[in-house]
Amino acid sequence: MNSKAKIEALWIIGVLVVLVVAAGINIYTTESPNFTIATKETPSSPIPGNTTVVYVEGVQWSWLFTTYNSTGKHTTTDGVTLTVNHTYTFVITSIKGSHQFAVIHDLYIPQFDVQAYAVPGQNNTITFTPIHTGTFIIECVEYCGYLHYEMRGYLTVVA
Amino acid sequence: MSATMLLLEVSIILSFVFVILFFMYYKYLTVKTGMDNASDESDYYDSSSYFREKRKSNGAISTSAFVLTDSKSIGLRYLMTSLVFFFIAGTFGVIMRVSLIEPTPTLFAHREVLYDILTTEHSILMIYMWAVGSAFGLAYYLLPTFLKIKNDKYGNISSWAYWIYVLGGIFILLSRTSTRWYYYPPLALQLNPYGAGSMNWLAVIGMEMIFIGIAIASITVIRMIIFDRSQEVPMTKMPLFAWGVLFTLIMFLASAPFMMAALVMLFYDFFNPIFFTGVGGSSPISFAELFWVWGHPIVYIAILPQFGLIYEIIPKFTGKKIFSYSSGVLALGLLMPLSELVWGHHLLNSGLGLAWGLFFTTASFAVTIPSAITVFNYIATLWSAEKIRLTVPMLFVINGIFDFIIGGITGVMQSTLVINEEVHGTYWITGHFHFIFMGITTGIAFAAIYMIWPSLTSGRKYDQRLANWHLSLTAIGSFIMSIGWTVGGFLGMPRYVSGYFARFQVYQDIAIAGGVIIGIGQLFFLANLIKSLLEEPSTSPSNVLEEVYKLPSPGAVGGD
Repeated sequence: MNSKAKIEALWIIGVLVVLVVAAGINIYTTESPNFTIATKETPSSPIPGNTTVVYVEGVQWSWLFTTYNSTGKHTTTDGVTLTVNHTYTFVITSIKGSHQFAVIHDLYIPQFDVQAYAVPGQNNTITFTPIHTGTFIIECVEYCGYLHYEMRGYLTVVA
Repeated sequence: MSATMLLLEVSIILSFVFVILFFMYYKYLTVKTGMDNASDESDYYDSSSYFREKRKSNGAISTSAFVLTDSKSIGLRYLMTSLVFFFIAGTFGVIMRVSLIEPTPTLFAHREVLYDILTTEHSILMIYMWAVGSAFGLAYYLLPTFLKIKNDKYGNISSWAYWIYVLGGIFILLSRTSTRWYYYPPLALQLNPYGAGSMNWLAVIGMEMIFIGIAIASITVIRMIIFDRSQEVPMTKMPLFAWGVLFTLIMFLASAPFMMAALVMLFYDFFNPIFFTGVGGSSPISFAELFWVWGHPIVYIAILPQFGLIYEIIPKFTGKKIFSYSSGVLALGLLMPLSELVWGHHLLNSGLGLAWGLFFTTASFAVTIPSAITVFNYIATLWSAEKIRLTVPMLFVINGIFDFIIGGITGVMQSTLVINEEVHGTYWITGHFHFIFMGITTGIAFAAIYMIWPSLTSGRKYDQRLANWHLSLTAIGSFIMSIGWTVGGFLGMPRYVSGYFARFQVYQDIAIAGGVIIGIGQLFFLANLIKSLLEEPSTSPSNVLEEVYKLPSPGAVGGD
């Protein structure tokens, strides 16, 4: 084996090591309790434990957050208030506004590392627990028309 | 005006148009027959190459390229139109960047609509007309020399393909679509300025035409590489650029049908919305999936030929052969199947779930292997060279490798599920692919154009000073722009928006500065072109990229 082949073998092995390590980290982080990813499902009832279900609807061009409790149905637009260290399940879908069809949106809470598409005719579920109090931004990151950029707001986490 | 009068006027105008068209066709036929007879008498199979040789134009920029149908002329057409579209789409890019100077759109009336149109046109035209167009231009222009092709007889088909493709691009431009380059329905079905643009249907037709044009051209180029290649150039010694083009076009033909079918279904949806509406069991996500089966390979189509070109350019300025020919072919070849396996990483948050997510992210990591082998191959070649001549094309190559390393590492990072959830849909992604598209696609295309400059301008030199300005401003501007986006995107700055949270102002401002610098840089290229066309020819019209094409070493283990 001459030096050229050696160098080639070396860089292929080096790349493979990087690949395996990166893939390992990728799989390892998904095992973490804080990890959450959107899945195409409607949450089964009854809801486990002390989880609160928030129904999120994207419409051209705002976000509607709906919760149900003993006092009835509560809907807020472009913002929602959550309680810290409490687990929430967001059920996200898209409903039609003035146009014939609903369009695809994408709910994104950057500081929580939470992102899920709002797809017409499909419920996407994502579960997470806010661990800090404060005000955080929410955005739509899938282009949905004229006022796409105004599909944003603030999410407040209180103690 | 009554309907009868209108009908009368329309028919009169139409008959005039037909008379003029017939006259043009008659003239064309007369000239064509004359050309054919003349070339037949001189024992030429193909009248175009006969006339090109007779006129000694040697593949220079001229309008005759649009009439002649030999490969060099077809290549020139692609190069010229891709440059025109590059400047159109680039202007759009600079305008939309500047329009983002304030967080809330108040500067122009309906800035949102303007921004949406500009950003959509910028992305579609840059990818399909500039990246693909320049790659086809260089392939048609360089491959006949690289592969010593004598049998250049599919010019008519290539010519048709070219016209369909350019007309498609013009349709896209005229449609003023604002649906973004991925055409997601049901938004794409909203034919009003507040949805996808009033004439989005025209953009769908234009896109389909671009696909048909590229598909026909792909088949002719593949034929050229595999069958029309001279016997002196065996497959195992083919230039790496030819390998890059071959793999790219096979990749295109393997993945484009999905998007072509999806576009037809989308077009049907304009009249009878049944396929992608989310009503009655249909899912809009199925369009997104069909799109990305194509949409991921397209981004490699924009870099693979350029990867091949880098392998051709480096030896010209280092005087050394490529470090390893076989691992270069292997890497380019590996990108082809891998690119077809990773499309899901564009939709990780759409509800695919964990298992699919892990499959697509792991497959995306595997793309690292060929990319890294390619980069290591470049670095090893540069490393083992005794001296490197830092001319403008070589500096473009070095800048491209530098940018590709940043763009590649950000790419590996974002294919981790956790990080993807953080950066998907943000400017991080924009930064990631602008590093690569500015460094590799644009940079290498310009490097090649500078190298074949004497041929393009029939024996004129480019101005070194202007070229250096072009290079520096493009490199610095694209770095500033992309780094502003990458950092801002990681903090959650959404892309594709005409307004933004005021907290992201600083990153937008950095990107605006970078974008304007790039824009100014391209003016130096234009000035250079005009300046050298005004000068008298001062050098031989041959160019360093094509002259005495030496075959690369047959194997990796061949020593020096």
